[in-house]
Amino acid sequence: MIAQLVLNGLVTGMVVALGAVALTLTYSILKFPNFAVGGMITLGAYIAWLVNVPLGLPLPGAAVLAAIGLAAVMLAADRFVFRPLRDRGAITLLVAAMGLSLILENICRLAFGNVARNFDVDPERPWRVSGLRIHPEQVTTAVVTVAAMAGLWLVLRHTRLGRAMRAVADNPDLAAVRGIDRDRVTRRTWVLAAALVALSGVLIGMDRAIDPLMGWAYIIPVFAAAILGGLGSPGGAVLGALLIGVAQELSVLVIEPNYRQVVGFVAIALVLLARPRGLLGVEEIRR
Amino acid sequence: MIAFLVTILTLVAIAAILALALNLQWGLCGMVNFGLVGFFALGAYAAALLSLAGAGPALALLGAMVITAACGAAVAALSHRLAEEYLAIVTLGFGEVVRLTLLNESWLTGGALGLPGIPSPTLRLPGPGGEHVGFLVLCLIALALAYLVVERLARAPFGRLMRAVRDDDVVAATLGKDVVRVRIAAFAIGCALLALGGALHAWHFGYIDPSQFTPIVTAYAFMAVIAGGRGSNPGILVGAGVVMLLIEGSRFLKDVVDFVAADQLAALRLILIGAGLILFLIYRPQGLGREYRRSAASFPTVPAPASS
Repeated sequence: MIAQLVLNGLVTGMVVALGAVALTLTYSILKFPNFAVGGMITLGAYIAWLVNVPLGLPLPGAAVLAAIGLAAVMLAADRFVFRPLRDRGAITLLVAAMGLSLILENICRLAFGNVARNFDVDPERPWRVSGLRIHPEQVTTAVVTVAAMAGLWLVLRHTRLGRAMRAVADNPDLAAVRGIDRDRVTRRTWVLAAALVALSGVLIGMDRAIDPLMGWAYIIPVFAAAILGGLGSPGGAVLGALLIGVAQELSVLVIEPNYRQVVGFVAIALVLLARPRGLLGVEEIRR
Repeated sequence: MIAFLVTILTLVAIAAILALALNLQWGLCGMVNFGLVGFFALGAYAAALLSLAGAGPALALLGAMVITAACGAAVAALSHRLAEEYLAIVTLGFGEVVRLTLLNESWLTGGALGLPGIPSPTLRLPGPGGEHVGFLVLCLIALALAYLVVERLARAPFGRLMRAVRDDDVVAATLGKDVVRVRIAAFAIGCALLALGGALHAWHFGYIDPSQFTPIVTAYAFMAVIAGGRGSNPGILVGAGVVMLLIEGSRFLKDVVDFVAADQLAALRLILIGAGLILFLIYRPQGLGREYRRSAASFPTVPAPASS
């Protein structure tokens, strides 16, 4: 029973991890918490659904197109929303991000209504491995997440872009002196973040259903994971997400399942009280 | 028609109280409250439960305001060690906790069915629908009092302190100001006002359930504050009035254009709210109103020459 809950929690955590890493990337480059992540998850899932069901493309292809589509949307958002507000401080940017989230979420509602949708995938029976029930979607989730994280690690560690991103995150002025184009790094960060969030949207859509509020339900776990890991640390965000996922599943042993979402909030509160820099964060998030 | 007008004005008064509260927290003190609807709901439920338990309106209102202010102070204290952007996520989480509690603790809150039959205070005015007009008068009195309180605070030394904390808390702290206390106090007072709005809401409808308290309320309040002008209380009144009239007015749109369904109209409205927020932030961050500023010239520096 407990082993089953831990397994489910790890898989939930992996989905959350994609969003949390994206949040942490945008935070370290743009220096504001991106509240649009909820709307981004929803829009990513709907783009994939649009390609998958009405157009009939298989889901992996649909997921790739969702990543590309969401990246294009976020590039436009960067150009028309975030760039004009860049020097106005984090508070203004985060309110604008919430406004953007409202727009993205309600474009989906306007176009597709409130009905829950599902991807065109054949439901398969769960496998039984030494007493555990493992759903094929859970394996897909694990494989996709690990592959995405490995790819991201390669980009961050071993490419010019990764080095430029770390330089801008560390000290934007110094990076600018060394000839790093901040706008270009920002745009590429949005592309990476949008791709990760679109993937998480597709995985969430596979797990439950696609509806306009699906992203909203994930905002708090995603933020909890990123804060728990110490904002700005991708590794920490993954660790935080896995912990939140497992804690959420295990919480049903002690509290009513309806209150599962409270776990994320409690985790944020505890981190803020006990260790404001998070688990792996280097700098404190206080000022 | 009169009845409709009275209802609209009552709703505008309640919305204006919420906007004044958010303006105190966000406009003056820089504290983003994404969980506004949670505090509003808490105030409404507290006032409703106290009224149902037989408490008089004054006692119910006082209880609701104290409970909500205490929760607000706790939330603000929780995030006091952090850069102010983290308050946003903590308040958002608080709003979710309130929503889940309202839905699941049916023994207290009635769950999804809500609380019916809330006794409400009113003035017995003569004429048809006199009690509705009477309640509107009560709401307007509450709004006037709330306005006086926030306007007084904004012009008092405490208001200067709040703006100092908003603009640069390090400088404020360096000057020996207790930044944490200012933040907690501003947030708690704002939450007490949100509870006032909640109590009026509960009394007005006489029936509350969780579906009335969605994050949309928060979005409307932000729109009212941004349009009205952060820091400007007179502007906020105009902003709240315009936003409420647009929202209520666009309900008639579906009688005119019948090809949009009701939920599509709601989605469209929220898209416009989101776009309005962003456009105001980019092109008119000061909103339509102006923040109260005392210019150096208005301070008496040298005694004026005696001759005139």
